[in-house]
Amino acid sequence: MPETMFAPGEPPFLKLSGIGKVFPGVIANEDVSIDFRRGEIHALLGENGAGKSTLMNVVTGLYQPDSGEMILDGYGVEFAGPPAAIAAGIGMVHQHFKLVPRFTVAENLALGWNETPGWVAPGAIEAKARALSERFGLAIRADARIDSLSAGEQQRVEILRVLSRGAKMLILDEPTAVLSPVEVASLFDALRRFRDGGGAVVIITHKLDEVMAVADRCSVLRAGRLVGTHRITDVTPALLVGEMIGRPVDLPASYPRARPAPGPDAPAAMVLEAVSVRDEAGVTRLDAVSLVLRAGEVLGIAGVTGNGQPELAGVMTGLVAPFSGRVLLGGAPAPGADPGAFAAAGVGHVPEDRLRSALAPSLGVAENAVLREYRVKPVGGRLAYNAGAARRFAEALAVAANVRLASPTAPIRGLSGGNQQRLVLAREGRIATSVLVASYPARGLDIGAIAAMRERLAAARDGGVAVVLVSEDLDEILALSDRIAVLTAGRLMGVMERAEARRDVIGRLMSGRAADAEIAA
Amino acid sequence: MSAPLVRLAVVPPRRLAVARILAVLATLATVGIVLALSGRDPLLLGRLILRSTVGSRFGLEDLALFMTPLLLTGASVWNGVRVNLWNIGAEGQFYAGATAASAIGLFVPLPGALMLPVMALAGVLAGAAWIALPAVARAWLSVSEIITTLLLNFVASLLVYYLATGPWADHVTNALASTERLRILIPAVWGAVHWGFVVALVVVVVLGVVLARSRFGYETAICGANPDAARYAGIAAAPLLCTVMLVSGGLAGLAGMIEVAGTVHRLQGGIANNYGYLGIVVALLARGSAVALIPAAALMALILDTGIVLQTAQISASAVLAITGGLMAAIAVADELAAYVRVKL
Ligand SMILES: Nc1ncnc2c1ncn2[C@@H]1O[C@H](COP(=O)(O)OP(=O)(O)OP(=O)(O)O)[C@@H](O)[C@H]1O
Ligand SMILES: [Mg+2]
Repeated sequence: MPETMFAPGEPPFLKLSGIGKVFPGVIANEDVSIDFRRGEIHALLGENGAGKSTLMNVVTGLYQPDSGEMILDGYGVEFAGPPAAIAAGIGMVHQHFKLVPRFTVAENLALGWNETPGWVAPGAIEAKARALSERFGLAIRADARIDSLSAGEQQRVEILRVLSRGAKMLILDEPTAVLSPVEVASLFDALRRFRDGGGAVVIITHKLDEVMAVADRCSVLRAGRLVGTHRITDVTPALLVGEMIGRPVDLPASYPRARPAPGPDAPAAMVLEAVSVRDEAGVTRLDAVSLVLRAGEVLGIAGVTGNGQPELAGVMTGLVAPFSGRVLLGGAPAPGADPGAFAAAGVGHVPEDRLRSALAPSLGVAENAVLREYRVKPVGGRLAYNAGAARRFAEALAVAANVRLASPTAPIRGLSGGNQQRLVLAREGRIATSVLVASYPARGLDIGAIAAMRERLAAARDGGVAVVLVSEDLDEILALSDRIAVLTAGRLMGVMERAEARRDVIGRLMSGRAADAEIAA
Repeated sequence: MSAPLVRLAVVPPRRLAVARILAVLATLATVGIVLALSGRDPLLLGRLILRSTVGSRFGLEDLALFMTPLLLTGASVWNGVRVNLWNIGAEGQFYAGATAASAIGLFVPLPGALMLPVMALAGVLAGAAWIALPAVARAWLSVSEIITTLLLNFVASLLVYYLATGPWADHVTNALASTERLRILIPAVWGAVHWGFVVALVVVVVLGVVLARSRFGYETAICGANPDAARYAGIAAAPLLCTVMLVSGGLAGLAGMIEVAGTVHRLQGGIANNYGYLGIVVALLARGSAVALIPAAALMALILDTGIVLQTAQISASAVLAITGGLMAAIAVADELAAYVRVKL
């Protein structure tokens, strides 16, 4: 066992011993034993559905383990719920933030905290929030409302919330999935500071370069069981992939095509003519964007998150009506905001926030699987809906998406984050006969699923679909794209052919005018 | 290995049924103990209640008569709850349906064979009309339907009092605060039980089947579960939500028509007898399933009937409310406990 290789001077902060957790039809964790130590960043790795989130939900008291025990500082513990875990010094930052959007940062920090006085004065809690921010070195704006913050800023508030309650162990579930590279670097700095102060950190992630950069040790789960725990200096990414998936996976740097990429005179699947979008406050989010989506090519949209990506994807899929300019779909002007008409015309959409906008979490896998095709046979018609056919459809879709289903009628929120994502990708791939808009399609996927997803996009391209790939990951954009556009502050900073694209140029365009992004109104 | 407790995300119907039967028994035991403590003989009362409800033909007939409106108002509320819409106004729609049906029955000369169908249609349309404003306001303007539907109940109730004691009052006998007896009534099927009972059962089953097998049912389920996903899928939510509410209103209106033409035979103040509000209880008891409305309505009818028996034994009418509340609480606990199982690893 790898554990014996280390000389444990003092007992681990938290020792998991033989933890098991079952759901009906699924063994999520089985006989998992891991030591989490003070002054250590511990990465938790594994395929989608391997049981990482479940294990950490057991550790934080959200679920009760069905077998095994947890030993905290040498004593056996049981947590009746998350408050008990927090009282014991274990806090978790979930992938879906649990902040009150209409409250300010200071109010969110004060919320549900014993030390908050019965009578709260805004000045006092803001001063307190600033003091916390300084103490833990996490920059926040105490008086800003949560819904005005970027994902990275919200995450800092979540982390502060946990730390301010005296956490000695900080657990983060896929914290970097929604962060820009700059935000990732600042998160890692904060984690290292916390570790150097004697804290224990557990970080769940699918990105192996991050693991190599920030973790001290890592544990790999596979089908609910622990495969091994290693010191980072003893492993390579390839070795970890082998343990996680059981076969080597490499992400190619390019996806060669049989025929040459379509030229400028190729048929256009969709055309945007000087399209602008304003938000409810009247702020311009997309500024006179003109683009031609050519059938059979991948157009990469590079850019830092929050520079108009959701609006661009919304305009291309009918969710958002242009404020000015127009969209031509298959040569004809498209109706304003009519996602149904776009879908009927063969436009598929993998949105940024799948759980919130592309799935009905409380309904079954079957109902969600047929969301795009319930209008046609065999599932439905003008009036009918055939639940049996929907179940069979869902089972077939799950096979295509490489997801193992316990039951097609169980609510889809019971699936792991990555598996929900795989199903959305497969579902949208089916209806995208003309355009496929994929926003951050790799988010939450394990490396094997990323490889499969990229191959799926390349196959769609070869099948004559115009693929739009919105991503922050330049490697991904460069590997797949035929042309690359950079979106900054709602404006297209230029469209370049893949052959002429240079990393430093793209980088400069991405950050170039970020400073005046907010003044675009 | 040990057998740990696990909470099921989806509870099998059989477990739920057993848990609920236990909850009913627990409530009964509690009521019995309270009666005993207040110096009554619970066994004697129990026998009395049984005899006047399930234990005799007249009792069963009474139950069926109580069940009839509860089935339909329960369906009315359930149909909305399914989509996250709370129709608190079944009471008012009930009154509207009863009023419209009475208007046809009293004042429109129609051939006998046409009378009942036209009255039913009028009841349905009036119920739907009574909810139309809240429905439109909710669907297109996002105005909370809870307040609007509730407030219209008071309007409807007062309107019926006014009609029954004023312009439509029975001037022949002049004694009752009600209209004349309707000329054509729903025929009986078994003793005092009329065809309205059968119609209510059929309507509930048909509603369940249609929602499970129709595109309308699927689209409304998506709208209720996640409006953003509905938009993404190109489902126009507003007309669907509006339609759902109109159907709810129509069901409650039909309940009003059947009550006036089958059971009460004349329009009078207070004819809705809280059936609209009790429909909320019935819908909550039935949870996700339309067919479960039938046992839920039967249980509610039994409680109402029990209340009447207790009243004849000089026990306050509020006892019904207390028993209903106690039962709801017991069932909520039972539902939760039913989700826990011991599993073998
Ligand atoms: N509440 C639940 N009800 C039923 N099954 C569940 C529930 N939560 C998790 N599962 C199942 O347990 C298994 C492990 O899920 P978990 O979310 O822990 O995976 P994960 O390793 O976090 O995956 P991902 O990388 O995709 O987030 C999956 O098969 C999932 O379907
Ligand atoms: Mg997870």
